[in-house]
Amino acid sequence: MSVVGKCHRCATDLEDGDLRCSICGTIAPALDRVVGEVQRIVRCDECGAAVAHRAEDAMSPACRFCRAPTKIETPQNPMETAELMLPFVISSDRAVVAMRRFLGSLGFFRPSDLSRSASVDSVAAVWFAAWIFDARADVTWAADSDHGSGRSDWAPHAGRVKFDWRNVVVSASRGLARDEVHKLIPAYDLGQAAPIAGASGGQVESFDVERSAARQHVLDAIHTIAAEQLKQHHIPGSRFRKVNVSALLEGLTTRRFALPAYVFVYRYEGRPYRAIVHGQNDAVTFGTAPLAWGKIVLTVLAVPAVIAAVIAAIALTR
Amino acid sequence: MSANVIASRSYACQECGAELRLPEGRRSVACLYCKCPTVIERPGSADAPAPALVLPFVVPEAAARAAVAAWKKKWRWFHASLAGAAIDDIQGIYLPAYLYSAALTSHYRCEIGEHYQETEEYETTENGKRVTKTRTVTKTEWRSLQGEHVGYVADVMVTASRGLPNGELGAIEPFDMRLLRRYQAALVSGWASEDASVAPADGVQAARAEAVRIEAGRIGAFLPGDNNRGLEFQTHVDRESLDLALVPIWTLAIRPDPKQPAQRVLCNGQTARVWGAERWSPLKIAAFIAILFAIGEGVWLALRAGGGG
Repeated sequence: MSVVGKCHRCATDLEDGDLRCSICGTIAPALDRVVGEVQRIVRCDECGAAVAHRAEDAMSPACRFCRAPTKIETPQNPMETAELMLPFVISSDRAVVAMRRFLGSLGFFRPSDLSRSASVDSVAAVWFAAWIFDARADVTWAADSDHGSGRSDWAPHAGRVKFDWRNVVVSASRGLARDEVHKLIPAYDLGQAAPIAGASGGQVESFDVERSAARQHVLDAIHTIAAEQLKQHHIPGSRFRKVNVSALLEGLTTRRFALPAYVFVYRYEGRPYRAIVHGQNDAVTFGTAPLAWGKIVLTVLAVPAVIAAVIAAIALTR
Repeated sequence: MSANVIASRSYACQECGAELRLPEGRRSVACLYCKCPTVIERPGSADAPAPALVLPFVVPEAAARAAVAAWKKKWRWFHASLAGAAIDDIQGIYLPAYLYSAALTSHYRCEIGEHYQETEEYETTENGKRVTKTRTVTKTEWRSLQGEHVGYVADVMVTASRGLPNGELGAIEPFDMRLLRRYQAALVSGWASEDASVAPADGVQAARAEAVRIEAGRIGAFLPGDNNRGLEFQTHVDRESLDLALVPIWTLAIRPDPKQPAQRVLCNGQTARVWGAERWSPLKIAAFIAILFAIGEGVWLALRAGGGG
């Protein structure tokens, strides 16, 4: 599953086995290897005869020479696997320290003994799966926003913007939530990426999707990213609806990354919580933590009491 | 049974030696005597390019016959004696079709309607008195909008065979493009297949028109607002490409009446979708309408009688 060339219309990467460009539909130039694979479709596995592909074979395929079943191959749709990975920079000991420090830094409304009393159930060093893409996009958009609205709440707007995206991450992880991935991403140094080899001391999450589904996922993500950026910087107004995006993509290059992180499961008073430490920068540590409800209730009660006391004091001084 | 690959119009079957002639426009045939498949490899020309892609057959002959029989049954009452027609000579053929793709840029102009609610007063009669009441009505504010819409269009299919008009191909579309393969003689050997008889320039014309129709739908879905009217757009096509593909079709002729010409019926070789030049029987349709009227009148009379009693 390696890149074998570029689409001559939109410069998108073509991978081994692609018949057409996934973005614009242009037919990929023929490669000797691919032709070889197609030939297998009509060959009997048993006797090796070149069997004509006929309709009756489609339902009960049998070689006309030896009556052995022939294999009618389904179109190639390989599973996605990571091709590049980043190394762990933070040791697991440092990750534990970072996690304890995080638990101690959560502020007044958390239990004061959280950092001391939390017991770590498990620490997993994982490489989670993500696509990272580069692309140029000519984006046209049309949307309703509150800008310039009259009697109706909405007014229509339209425009055209060119984007040049570099190193945009689309999460493929099922183990980490989307917002967790978005917190981790900016702190990775993608320059350290190395071709994936035998991973030691951790596990590499699989992409668990077929290539065609992966491409659709990345394309959908590109549309979502474009819509978000348009709302922030390009569409006038502050409230939006019916944000429609249509794009001509060029030079889409997608790399499959395995990115390192520590996932902690810890317990506090019997309940499990989760904390995540970045595998390369322990300043990026976040997670879920219990709230000290006693302190919250006391504060809620104390605020009116203080106000009442102040009013009483003012009243008494008059 | 390797496919013979030859380069002339008349040839001897490599299996049984029979002298055969390839019909004009055919790319591959099976020997009449021994069914040995033959594929003619001719270099493509400007007017008849060589196929680049093949969509393989998925529906076997028995399933195609069943699909046609079911289609015939569904419409038999209205058709001119279709029920009695036999399905005998069904043939699987790879028909040439152009696959077109391009980058589209459209400039559009229209009016966008945004709804808003308003309360209005109205007068009505209640218990014999005139009263004024209020109600909420939805009104539409119209604003003009102009903009651009860009995108690739791919998989636009138009016929490349003079024998099969575009409308008939369209009637049994869509095909499953995920099954597309690069053309190889081995894939069509054993089947009848046709060379392109529509020039690429004509194919591009038809495909562009189709692409603009697709673009119209896309722009319609792209526009914001609750409503729109007066949409005008101009589409510029750019970076076009056209490739010849062979698509799998079962064809057969049904002859309901020996005195009349046979009707063509097509069946998609991937999805078993059937289309036929349906000839309606005016007599039967008139009879159907008359029966509907009779039933309606009967019901009306019955109701009136019931109401009067």
